[in-house]
Amino acid sequence: MTGSSDPQTFPTPTIMPLGDSGLLVRFGNTLNDAANRAAIALARALERDPIAGVVEVVPNLVSVLLRYDPLAAAPATIAGELRLRLFALGNATQPAQSWTIPTRFDGPDIDEVAALFGMTTADFVAAHNAQPLRVLVTGFAPGFVYCGLHGDGLMLPRRTSVRPAVPAGSVLFAAGQTAITATDMPTGWHVIGHTDFRNFDAASEPPTRLQPGDSVTFEAET
Amino acid sequence: MALTILRAGPLTSIQDAGRFGMLRHGISASGPMDGGAFAQAGALAGGRRGGVEFTMAGLEIRLESGRCRVGFAGGDFVARHNGAVLDWPGVVMLGEGDTLSVTPGGWGNYGYLRFDADIDVPLVMGSMATSSRAQLGGLEGRVLRAGDVIALSGDGGSGVLEVEQTEPVTGPIRVIWGLHADLFPQALRQRFLATPFVISSRLDRMGVRLEDAGSVFAEAVALSLVSDAIVPGDIQILGDGTPIVLMRDHQPTGGYPRIATVITADLDRFAQLRPGTPVAFEPVTVEHAHALLRSR
Repeated sequence: MTGSSDPQTFPTPTIMPLGDSGLLVRFGNTLNDAANRAAIALARALERDPIAGVVEVVPNLVSVLLRYDPLAAAPATIAGELRLRLFALGNATQPAQSWTIPTRFDGPDIDEVAALFGMTTADFVAAHNAQPLRVLVTGFAPGFVYCGLHGDGLMLPRRTSVRPAVPAGSVLFAAGQTAITATDMPTGWHVIGHTDFRNFDAASEPPTRLQPGDSVTFEAET
Repeated sequence: MALTILRAGPLTSIQDAGRFGMLRHGISASGPMDGGAFAQAGALAGGRRGGVEFTMAGLEIRLESGRCRVGFAGGDFVARHNGAVLDWPGVVMLGEGDTLSVTPGGWGNYGYLRFDADIDVPLVMGSMATSSRAQLGGLEGRVLRAGDVIALSGDGGSGVLEVEQTEPVTGPIRVIWGLHADLFPQALRQRFLATPFVISSRLDRMGVRLEDAGSVFAEAVALSLVSDAIVPGDIQILGDGTPIVLMRDHQPTGGYPRIATVITADLDRFAQLRPGTPVAFEPVTVEHAHALLRSR
């Protein structure tokens, strides 16, 4: 997935209120590469060049939430500032960090997942690890990271049943993405492996390490 | 200085204003379910940072040593100092060995105790708010229970002795149309406004489920949506048609459709509605919501 920083490639966003203290800038209604890259680029632009009155910038899969203090800033003013930054989007994209995540591909669902693609487990792991993935978004749960997008050849829906708890460090696979958990949690995703990498430490500042836009390579650990 | 929890209802927790700026790391702000009552109790006590949020079942504490001023507010409860009934909301000076008990009154789900001393628990990511979802903050990231001892330190804010009696405000809960309002047909949005819902008994700091007795969402189609940001007050419709209002310990993102968001000025009031209470929603503009906030 090579990403052009040409602003022309970013989809036109809609700006809508989310309650009375948030504006949501949404680049699409479905998860796609261009919308996700635009959301990450906008969030970074807002960190470099903050808007007065905006108290928190939260990148999501295809959108960015701007939380603001309604007693300090009018949403119309924020939206105006936002348009200026959207217009300049794509200039000066920071290089993202690259990470290698050593993973034991021994999860309870790995053989079934490989079989659903008609592959041996080893071939599936090789295909899974062939390309670096991008951190699409963080934050569904503490330190939770979605990486993607896998190509059409590695698309699989979620499981029909939910596992009540998988441990921190579980490597999950579904919907063209690979996710890493940082806390124990329930999941309907396929559990394909486990890593000792922990993307959450409440005592660190910031408490997570992976940022949206970072490059992640999964590496099979024996 | 320390106090012992002698009796605690479920979901009693240490809170402060909240843990902000952590949504992208997967942690919602938490903080008091009724921020106005939390602030009132703080003003009565003399304004130190944290406080104890208790639920409808009430609370009883004993001050083990020292002297401490305690402000209390939120909902309608009965407070007793060593057995003697106090005005609610109000303030009391506790001496060594004194007890303060709180039992349920006529309305409300949440009340607050605040102190003219600091609660000695470590700040986690800058806040002492307990997150029931992330299990961090407060005392070991968990709810308080009988036998817990909470250390207090420092002294001496200056509280206010003027106590404003609170009456429950009635009327519809005001909302701003939500992220996915356009996915609900016009007729269904009209029924959402015209049909009263009922607060169910399934409520906690993460969300309040509503009984949809009018079957407004019975035939709502389960949509497959890209996961997006959630804010407190978002009204999301689960796959089985159950409406749920997301509260302070909400999940940071979600993929269920959201029809509307409760305005900030009404979220405290909504949090205090007990199970069985009918609730109606009324849409307002963002500008109107801001005007209501400014006039509080």
